[in-house]
Order: sequence, then structure tokens, then C-alpha cells
Amino acid sequence: MRKLLKKEISLSMHPTAAIFLLLSMMLLIPNYPYYVIFFYTSLAIFFTCLLGRENNDVFFSMMLPIHKKDIVKARISFVVLLELAQIIIAIPFAFLRQSMPVPPNEVGMGANITLFGFSFIMLGVFNLVFFSIYYKDVTKVGVAFNISCIIVSLYITVAETCAHVVPFVKNYLNTNDTQYIPYKLIVLVIGIVIYAALTFVAYNKSVKSFEKLDL
Amino acid sequence: MSILEVKNLNKKYPFFELKDVSFNLEQGKITGFIGKNGAGKTTTLKALFNFVHPDSGEISFFGESFSKNEFEIKQRIGFVSGGIDYYSKKKIKNITAVTKSFYEKWDDSAYKKYITMFGLDENKTPSQLSAGMKVKYSLAIALSHNAELLILDEPTSGLDPVSRDDLLDIFMELCNEGITILFSTHITSDLDKCADNIIYIKNGKILAESKINSFVKSYKVLEFTGEDVTDVLKQKLIGRKKTKNGYSALIKTSDLQGVTINCKEADLEEIMIHIEKEGEN
Repeated sequence: MRKLLKKEISLSMHPTAAIFLLLSMMLLIPNYPYYVIFFYTSLAIFFTCLLGRENNDVFFSMMLPIHKKDIVKARISFVVLLELAQIIIAIPFAFLRQSMPVPPNEVGMGANITLFGFSFIMLGVFNLVFFSIYYKDVTKVGVAFNISCIIVSLYITVAETCAHVVPFVKNYLNTNDTQYIPYKLIVLVIGIVIYAALTFVAYNKSVKSFEKLDL
Repeated sequence: MSILEVKNLNKKYPFFELKDVSFNLEQGKITGFIGKNGAGKTTTLKALFNFVHPDSGEISFFGESFSKNEFEIKQRIGFVSGGIDYYSKKKIKNITAVTKSFYEKWDDSAYKKYITMFGLDENKTPSQLSAGMKVKYSLAIALSHNAELLILDEPTSGLDPVSRDDLLDIFMELCNEGITILFSTHITSDLDKCADNIIYIKNGKILAESKINSFVKSYKVLEFTGEDVTDVLKQKLIGRKKTKNGYSALIKTSDLQGVTINCKEADLEEIMIHIEKEGEN
């Protein structure tokens, strides 16, 4: 797997994937829909799969002495690394944003622990929808991304609306991290568990679809 | 032991099917896999590597089932495609660095030898290479992991005659070193120069699997005006077609007895053209 991950990073990865990681610093923007920052990772995944199609990445991988399912495992492992990197890089900026002498994010969810929990769920949903469709036909990257975009946009809309209209989210979860830590940590843990579960389901579904796919 | 054995391969698509495709490859021989565009050459080759899933049939490399020994078998074979570019904007040296890590028997000195022999610049990207150089790069990769079997999908398509001839020389040298080559093409003159055996596929069905010399000798070309052909002879003609001075058709050498019309030796191209015409008449 180490060799395949090296191949993913040095040959398959779209250059913007690394640049998009820096967009975690957009948490410093005083008023912004912060979920969008994590959505940039999804865009990097789309670009990587699109580039793979143009570069015959799957054909190249199929000729290597590896099993077909390893191709899926490598791609999803790479994506998980990318998503975790985006989140880890975002953590110090979230701390900075909370210490900035400006009012909380007026758009919706602030740069707090809850944001990370809900973002994990969002990324898990993206992985499930995108890869389940993508591995049915690796040439139709656009279809997989369009459908994933619609679902993730709906998720962001609902999540941001909740930050304004659902009292528990507004008063407890969308607050500075000096308050209600236990509630937020529960959301974070639930988010991580859902992310892991959805990504695992995405992997299993993708392996099955890809095994059946005629290239 | 057969290097590659394909038995009763079937694959059905809405508008095309492979029907009971079976063949064997002999060690250290060049086998040409011929057929016109769309005959099923690439589909068959893709089925060998599980790119497409056959509905039925068995594929074994070196006496072992591909499905059960995919990893080990891929270590021993090289697939070279004339039409596919990988990572066209990455430097060759970076592609090689990744590729070689997957092969247990990678030989760096062999790689350097082939890179030098083929005149490849490792700092170039595939997009900067000519079609012939791309095939040579794929060959260098295959040969550096000590591939015992090379499967080449139309490697000479789109190459100029000199580059094609260069490649054929390389194939013959490799063959002398004991490497087995399966070479799909619709450019039959390439096979006249280098192949030992041929497999001929038409409409998804293997029409012939034979030594190239005996296959070519089994047919003659008849040239006639049209009036000098009896009804009995007409039954024996294959793929009659118009020519500048009348007609030409193929006839089996075994059917030549009693034929008084001028006939000449057939080459692979003429055989293929007339056989393909036969279906249209």
C-alpha cells in the first residue's frame, strides 16, 4: 500500500490538491460559510480523478502487479489522508479565529469543534456518494461529482440553517470553544465515527463496482 | 508448458461478441494477432488482464490461472500498447521511479541499457516523445522487470516505416533471447517480416491459428477477367473482388487441381483482404 500511496501522490494527485490544503486558513475570514473550506478537498479529489482519466491512470495501475481492489484501496486511502490533512491544518486557524477580536461568524457555524464534527460527516457523505458512483464507471467523473456536489450543497445549507434556527445548535453548539465542550466533543466523536463508517461503506461498494467494471 | 493458453473465451456485448476464442502461445516465438478494426483483438487482450470480464472461458499464463495468480503473473509479463499514453506531463524518470518499485525482479542496469539503446531522454515527458519512442519506453519498462512474455497491442500503428522496421528488429532480437511475443496488429506486412505464428480473428471468432508460412502457403491468389471462371471454380473462390484489370480472389491451395487460370503466391495482406471480403459478398 505504501508503494501505491507513493504512486497516488507522485503521479496521480492533481497539483491543486496541495494548494487547496492551504485554504484551511480561510477560517480566519470573519464571516464565511466555513464548511466550504472542507468542500475544497472534494474539489481536489474531483480534479485528481479527472486528471487520472486523462492520464489513463486506471490502465496504468491495472498493469502493475497488484490486485484490482488495491487500486480502490489506494485511491480512498489517499483521499482520507487529504481530508485529514485539510482538517489538521485547519485546527490552528480555528484557534486563531476564536481569539480574534471580531464578532462570531454571522454567516453560520463558527470556527469551533462542532464545525469539525459536522465537516467530518459532510466529507463522509461526499466519499460515499462520489466513490459509489465513480467506481461504476471511472470515465464519468463529472456525473459522480455533480451528484456529490448537489448532496453536499444540501448538507451545507441544512447545517448552516440549523446554526440559525435550531436553538440547541445555536445556543450550545455554535459557541466559542470555552463553552459547552462536552456537547461539542460528543458531536466531534459522532462526526468521526460517521465519517469512518461512511468511508468504509464507500470503499466496500467501490471495490464491488470496480471488480464488475469492464474497462 | 504453454506460455499463454486461452480456452473458450466468450464475452457478449449488445453489438459484438467474442465467440469461443481459444489459442496457445509457444515459448520464444512471435505470434501475430490479426484481424480488421473491430474484429475483437483489443477486447481479447483486455480480457487476458481482467480489464473486461469474460462471460466464460479459461485464461492461464505459464500454466497458472490468471484469476488465482494475478500478482505473480503480472510480474512476469509486459503489456505494451501503442495507443495509450500514461501521465503525459510527468517526466519519464518519475514514472519509472514509481513503476520499478512494484517489480520484484527490476533490473536497473537493464533499464539503463535499454534507455541508452533506444535513445530515450529520461527528462522528457511522454507528451514530448514520438509514437515510436513511447512504444520503446514501454518496452524498456517491460524488459527491465525481466518480462518473459510481451503482449503488444498495435505497437506499430501510427509509426513511420523506418520506426516500424526498427521495432520489428527489436522484437526479433528479443525473440532470440527466448522472450515470447504476442503482437496484435492490422498491419500485416509487419508480421510478414517477423512473425512465426498467426492467430486470425474475424467478427470475434478465431478463424485460424497456424504457423505463418503454412497459413500463407495454404492460399493462392487467382486473377481473372470474369468470363474465364466456371461455375465449379466459382464455388471454390474466396472473397472475389474487383481489380484494375478484372477480378481477383483467393483459393485454397488444396482446391487448385485442374485450375488453368493464372495464380500467384498470396501474402498475408491479400489473404486477409479476400477473407474479409468473403463475408460482404
